[in-house]
Amino acid sequence: MSSLANLRLPTRRYALGAGFALEGLKYFKYWVLAALVLSFAVPLVISQYSDVALSAWYYTANVGKWFTAFVGGGFVFTLVPNMIAAGLTRRELAVSMGVFGVLWSLVLGAVAFAGILGERAYYDALGWSQGIDASDAIAPIGSLGDTIAFASYYPLLYLVYFAAGTVIGIASYRWEGAGWLLLVPIIPVVFSLDNGLYDTEPVGPGWAGFLGLFMDGWARGVVIATIVAVTAVLAAAAYRILIDVPLRSKKA
Amino acid sequence: MSFTVNLRNVTLKYGAEAALADVDLDLEAGKIYGLLGRNGAGKTSLLSLLAAFRRPTSGEVRVGGEPVWENAPIVSRVALIREGGDFDDSETVKAVIETGQIRPSFDTDYAYKLADKFEVPLKKRVSALSRGKRSVLAAVCGLAARAELTMFDEVHLGMDAPTRDAFYKELLAEYMERPHTVVLSTHLIDEVANYLEEVIIVDRGRILRHADIEAFQGMGATLTGPADAVDALGLAALAEQRLGGTKSITVADALDKSVRERAAAAGIEIGPVGLQDLFIHLTDPNRNGA
Amino acid sequence: MFDDGTPIYRQIADQIKAEIMNGSLEPGGKVMSTNQYAAFYQINPATAQKAFRELVDEGVLYKQRGVGMFVADDARDRLAADFRDRFFERVLAPLVREARQAGIPLTDIIDYLKAQEGALQ
Repeated sequence: MSSLANLRLPTRRYALGAGFALEGLKYFKYWVLAALVLSFAVPLVISQYSDVALSAWYYTANVGKWFTAFVGGGFVFTLVPNMIAAGLTRRELAVSMGVFGVLWSLVLGAVAFAGILGERAYYDALGWSQGIDASDAIAPIGSLGDTIAFASYYPLLYLVYFAAGTVIGIASYRWEGAGWLLLVPIIPVVFSLDNGLYDTEPVGPGWAGFLGLFMDGWARGVVIATIVAVTAVLAAAAYRILIDVPLRSKKA
Repeated sequence: MSFTVNLRNVTLKYGAEAALADVDLDLEAGKIYGLLGRNGAGKTSLLSLLAAFRRPTSGEVRVGGEPVWENAPIVSRVALIREGGDFDDSETVKAVIETGQIRPSFDTDYAYKLADKFEVPLKKRVSALSRGKRSVLAAVCGLAARAELTMFDEVHLGMDAPTRDAFYKELLAEYMERPHTVVLSTHLIDEVANYLEEVIIVDRGRILRHADIEAFQGMGATLTGPADAVDALGLAALAEQRLGGTKSITVADALDKSVRERAAAAGIEIGPVGLQDLFIHLTDPNRNGA
Repeated sequence: MFDDGTPIYRQIADQIKAEIMNGSLEPGGKVMSTNQYAAFYQINPATAQKAFRELVDEGVLYKQRGVGMFVADDARDRLAADFRDRFFERVLAPLVREARQAGIPLTDIIDYLKAQEGALQ
């Protein structure tokens, strides 16, 4: 990791968090770039054969949620032994991961936001409809105001996926062979909330959204509040699992 | 300011099994310690506690006079180097070295100098390094950490003899330039004996012996001579061997003058016991009352 | 370079004594520092220090604070007497014992030694 020289002990946890975010973005920059290009190129190809009625960017932004979960989980899984061995405390690492998660979600959220608005202009210019797959029917997102409101939830959604991935990652490190089972309760909750926010079908296994059955009547504000609460619970769980994790023994 | 180490009634269990049982240990600051023990004796567990890689099941672990667990000012100046190192394998050697900068005391220039000296290519990925080079990289990061308590756990594995020799030389030079507490855990006892000031032998989760290296070197003796004469001395033997009428025994204690004279008069040869052999005998599982 | 058995610090002390006896270290001359000894022989500096401490206690070396260790002016005389005692204890006593075990009369040994002295002159 670059630019760590002259770290000071009391503030290194924040600098590290920012460093992880930067490293992550640098590491995946070509992936992000490829997704960007594809999202704008694919509709152009489709338009040669049929009407474009679906937002391609919507899929890209949603795949970004899973990607974010993998980044959170993958990073924490690798960082725990390496950072603790390098003289970091678990508490410091937890704060770093928090900073990392917030920055990552903000940056990726901003990209998603810009992408949706950019795509709106792009689709408008070519006379296409920027639709999303909402409860069995494909419907346009709506007015500019609706689009902005829709896009502005992405940072929060990325954050909840990041927190979910991190919990599963740290649990997998701590309980080798069993930790990943936390997927079972976490995926349906997060996926259903994501699904319930706009009554849409996020990219992923449909069955995992079964909890949406119970959310049908929920107002958007309630869903958002629940997502915030779930994020907090996931972050607290990750912290709890991390804070006294023993380093695994080296395999002989 | 090098770190002291104090363990009080420390027990570490993995499930029901105790890796360390009720251990008390005090290490003074600024010495080089050798940590010896058979596989599974508890060496790695002990070091893991000192570096806060693990928390004891019960008891107190203090480093530099303070509880080490989750203590950033302390753990940032404690380095435990495990065999093969704790690296992200997908990173380059250079990135691994830069990660060391998480410690405010890390000396990056020194790390690069050592990497060059030990021929670890900076641009290579860790996953592409041989086992020996991985160990060297781990050792390089350990030395460059410039920690106040530096522990090397079997880090020599995979290094060839000339590399090990160069590593010990560098360790000694770094130690003399900047006195700090060092713990070397190894099976190559005779190879490191001259570098040590004190030796700790761990056996079955307990501290079997902890003394100056000289105490160990003066400790044992072998006596070889006519079987009757050897038996007549009435010494408690750690190990014995017979060949025809000749018997050879190894004793753990230093021989006093009268025993030496009686032995000499009876034609018994007295020889020294190397630290390695002494260790083997002291930790022999068939030995009673270790 | 070190044998098993005898503590290393004693071997170093013996070696410094030997250097004083054979003249490579002069009375009043400065001795290498503990760190120089440690680096040269690849040993723990505390071990070198122990050797020095023993030699200071025996009056062979003396310490000048902040300057270093020096060979005492009467070091050679002290060592000569010491060496003589140890020679009898460590070399001659076992020799007599072994000769007796092998049934060699002491007079034979005395004759042999006299012949050696004649050959040297």
